[in-house]
Amino acid sequence: MAIPIIPSLLRNNLAELAADNKRLDGRSQFSGRDIEIEIDCLHNAEGSCRVRMGDTIVLAGVKFQIMTPYPDRPTQGGLMTSAEIRPVCGPNWEPGPPSEESIEMGRVVDRGIRESGCIDTNELCILPGEKAWQVILDLFAVSDDGNMFDAFALAAIAALRTAIVPAEKFDVGEDYKLPVNGTPIMASYNKVGGRFVYDANKREELGGDERIHITLGDEGHVHSLQKGLRGVFTAEEFTEIMDNAQIRCQELRQMVHELEGSK
Amino acid sequence: MGYGDYQCMDENGIREDGRKADEMRPVEIECGVIPVADGSAYIKWGKNEAIAAVYGPMEAHPRKIQRQDRAILDVRYNMAPFSTSDRIRPGFNRRSREISKVTRDALESVVDLELYPRSKIRVEIEIICAEAGTRCCGITAASVALADAGIPMSDMVVSVAAGKCNGIVLMDLNKPEDNYGEADLPMGILPMTDELVFLQMDGDLSMEEFQLAWDYNIKAAHEVHAIMVEALKKRYGGDI
Amino acid sequence: MSEDSTPAEKNSGAARLVHPGERLNVSTDIVPGHGIRQVGEDFVVMRMGTLRENGKTISVDPLSSRYVPRSGDLVVGYVEGMTNNIWFLDIGASFNAILPMSLAPWKVEFGAVREHLNVGEAVLCRIQEVDETHSAVATMKGMGLRKLKSGLLEEIPPHIIPQVIGKGGSMLQTLKDLGQTRIVVGQNGRVWLDGDYSGMSKVRAALKMVRETAHLPGLKERVNALTDE
Repeated sequence: MAIPIIPSLLRNNLAELAADNKRLDGRSQFSGRDIEIEIDCLHNAEGSCRVRMGDTIVLAGVKFQIMTPYPDRPTQGGLMTSAEIRPVCGPNWEPGPPSEESIEMGRVVDRGIRESGCIDTNELCILPGEKAWQVILDLFAVSDDGNMFDAFALAAIAALRTAIVPAEKFDVGEDYKLPVNGTPIMASYNKVGGRFVYDANKREELGGDERIHITLGDEGHVHSLQKGLRGVFTAEEFTEIMDNAQIRCQELRQMVHELEGSK
Repeated sequence: MGYGDYQCMDENGIREDGRKADEMRPVEIECGVIPVADGSAYIKWGKNEAIAAVYGPMEAHPRKIQRQDRAILDVRYNMAPFSTSDRIRPGFNRRSREISKVTRDALESVVDLELYPRSKIRVEIEIICAEAGTRCCGITAASVALADAGIPMSDMVVSVAAGKCNGIVLMDLNKPEDNYGEADLPMGILPMTDELVFLQMDGDLSMEEFQLAWDYNIKAAHEVHAIMVEALKKRYGGDI
Repeated sequence: MSEDSTPAEKNSGAARLVHPGERLNVSTDIVPGHGIRQVGEDFVVMRMGTLRENGKTISVDPLSSRYVPRSGDLVVGYVEGMTNNIWFLDIGASFNAILPMSLAPWKVEFGAVREHLNVGEAVLCRIQEVDETHSAVATMKGMGLRKLKSGLLEEIPPHIIPQVIGKGGSMLQTLKDLGQTRIVVGQNGRVWLDGDYSGMSKVRAALKMVRETAHLPGLKERVNALTDE
């Protein structure tokens, strides 16, 4: 990703706004942008979701392949997450092999899902020691206006939860719904003007400092954390955003479940 | 089903998806779908879906690719990993490279590049769902995105393809017709003059079949052009 | 801006949208202007926009544009880098402009350029000259040209600047009154606002509305409606 210059006026302004407990686009500290979620939007994927948060738009697609299980885990299939951010999604994204930024996004989303245990890899077994499903989750950015982490994580879990295992296509039985036992949700916070805000947009990311990503499971347990970029934070700051993440993740989980119900 | 078993048309001359021989799949276009881009377009063409974004003009990097007398188009055609029935592994792909190049050659034929020396204009084409005919889909979407970005050009390239299946010349082959077909003739047409800026062909066509396929393409290009113009006008509230 | 009428006012209600490649039927005494090229007998539209007839000239007002520098333009630049005697300014065009030490308003000691202007800082400057490949030289010598130390920068596409300024600066005055805000419109589409938070927010909201609806008639009424709220 090309490194844009950080306007000092923007940084000053964000600091002034923060002192007044305000944000550039009028939101409060912990409110998110409007969210639209659409499932089953990609007909060649076995599970898919499109998420729009403000002007950030992403897609997630789930595909299946048959793999040979690893010899030490003969009954387990696998989950692979890949975020290859194409330069279509913004002026600063460049072509070429996956950048550090996109690899980080893919891995953080992957850990949240994997560590929540919502996908039991034993359930992906077809024939022990010979055949198992490999679930491939591809994350695709359409428009980057900040906080792609949360958008990707939301699209990912919604796509997985509505995915159909294409057993007929591979001649190994009847199609069935991919078992997903949980809805891990990510909430991301950026330090902007000296305090953390939820769901930063591109301008806040540009004029801000470090970011923290929290993935919480159904019971409110923590499944993955990631601190990114340059900056320091305190235990008090972390407690504050963790408290907010508990509320926010529950709201988003509700949203995903309602969507599935309406399917 | 083996090669040769596929029947693309019934006794009434109707294809499997209900079309006549010279009929296109339905095409829908929407502009401005990528808020952060300078210009963008979404196209749904039968079951094909693609997005195109335009960024620039901007300084061409690295300097060795700069041209002192004009801008260059930096065109990338890519298929998303989930766009096909079997997942596509991301990374270098010779087919995508070739399509990127012929798309660039087509679009550079209409864009007024001399206005922006030493610059580049980035054109990004991403196939989201593929169902035969994605290069035409991509070129057409890119033309709309360029117009949406306000890039000066002498016409909009419309790309369509006719082909042949079971010995019958058909407009706009769908997936099975393409798989079992005998020929494909994609063209890039300037609808105002019926000139061509893009031409490929593979397969086997007699001169008569070739002429028919050509005529089908010209007719279809005008239909798609009307949809492109409507999409651009709709973005700005239509004729006021 | 010396523009004394805006396209929206000129066409008062009837803006005809045209697209690249479109052929126009015009009488023989008409000459092609911006965005129109004559090919043989035909007048060919070269870009998406609205058609404008001004006397004997027919031209296209674009709906989307990127800044192309012209000598004399007042612009806002961000410092992107420097050598020991030159600053490189991002002026929102394809290429950075250079600001040589000799055209800065300060007496700069060799090797002390960053003391005056550092990376990320914004300056109000004027384009001194532009060569045929769009390389530009900026100057900070002149009335009102300075480093911008407070306020906020908002971006608008350059083609809507005439509407944002309005007839005789009327729209700009309305916007200034709306937010009790100082406003400078750079010809590169960077608008500098300085005032209190709520005032700047109002102006930003108004600019967003103008950006989205500049090509539609009745702009003045819409902005006035904001003032009345």
